[in-house]
Amino acid sequence: MAQAFDEYHATLKILLIGNSNVGKSSLLLRFTEDTFLPTDDVSATIGVDFKVVDTVVNGKRYKLTIWDTAGQERFRTLTSSYYRGVQGVILVYDVSKRESFDQLDSWFGELNTYCSSKDVVKMIVGNKVDKEHSRVITRKEAEAYARKMQTLFIECSAKTRVGVKEAFDELVTKIIETPSLWQKKERQPDNINVSRSAQTKQENSACC
Amino acid sequence: MSLEDLPYAADAEAPLSSEELNVLRRQYEREEGDVTTQTKFNYAWGLIKSRKKNEQQLGVRLLAEIFRESPERRRECLYYLALGHFKLGEYTHARYYNSELLQREPNNLQAKSLKNLIEDKLNKEGLVGAMIMSGVVGAIAIGGLYIASLFKDRRK
Repeated sequence: MAQAFDEYHATLKILLIGNSNVGKSSLLLRFTEDTFLPTDDVSATIGVDFKVVDTVVNGKRYKLTIWDTAGQERFRTLTSSYYRGVQGVILVYDVSKRESFDQLDSWFGELNTYCSSKDVVKMIVGNKVDKEHSRVITRKEAEAYARKMQTLFIECSAKTRVGVKEAFDELVTKIIETPSLWQKKERQPDNINVSRSAQTKQENSACC
Repeated sequence: MSLEDLPYAADAEAPLSSEELNVLRRQYEREEGDVTTQTKFNYAWGLIKSRKKNEQQLGVRLLAEIFRESPERRRECLYYLALGHFKLGEYTHARYYNSELLQREPNNLQAKSLKNLIEDKLNKEGLVGAMIMSGVVGAIAIGGLYIASLFKDRRK
């Protein structure tokens, strides 16, 4: 991280969330390195992975710090702390897995608990459209849900690269159009919630 | 679009606030005697991320315990043990745990990226070590010459 900060117009923090196996890490790998690993070669993310990417939007350079969280339940307490200071959240589901779409509700629940700013840009991404033959979530159904949740929506395939760059570009553009998100630093509450992993009463963890 | 050259252990470098860490610690202490693996793991993870050396050391100790007690947690223990030792500056230990993980999962991108970081540190350390050694050898040589010259002087 030796680069000078002032080279960038702004540094943006983006979070990837969603069930395990929907392809969050694959989306990130496609976006950052334009590669794709066969399913058998992919390891489930441990805790959280992190990538820094340069991107140019409207002639200005932005530094994206992208946090790729583990979808597995046992990392949820950990990943809740990564919402702090986030400007964009990508909620990923698998168009061939009904469960991953249905559980977007609970991911929104978590997001709304830990994000203090209402301006945070949210985007629903339906991944794996290359598996058209086993698709169970239609574009229409997902679009209607995205409208209801007032979020951006795009379908893509990390495997074929369809829609991946467009997803990140659209998210970044929307963040840039929302100056309140990145022009002032606001104090965010602390985010640790132990209640998921422990049955005892949750104490003074953050809320908004 | 370009990626920075070296990966960065951003997760390990970003400490929790003391309040956040306290939440995890209190949970751990409340369960004392019968701590669940999840609670122990969460606390160990928070400790590893700390900037304080004694907390990092405790985190590493707890992870080693979980590694022994809970085989199903081994992959994440290996990863965080590697990260913990990396933060403590114990790079050979870090390399050991990380390569154990890579042996099990040769394509694990997180472990691959951490490997680059560890190797980079080890190379730098090796270089400094070599410089110190050559300095020591040089000093001995100069000292030897000086002593030899004293004897020479005496014989005159």
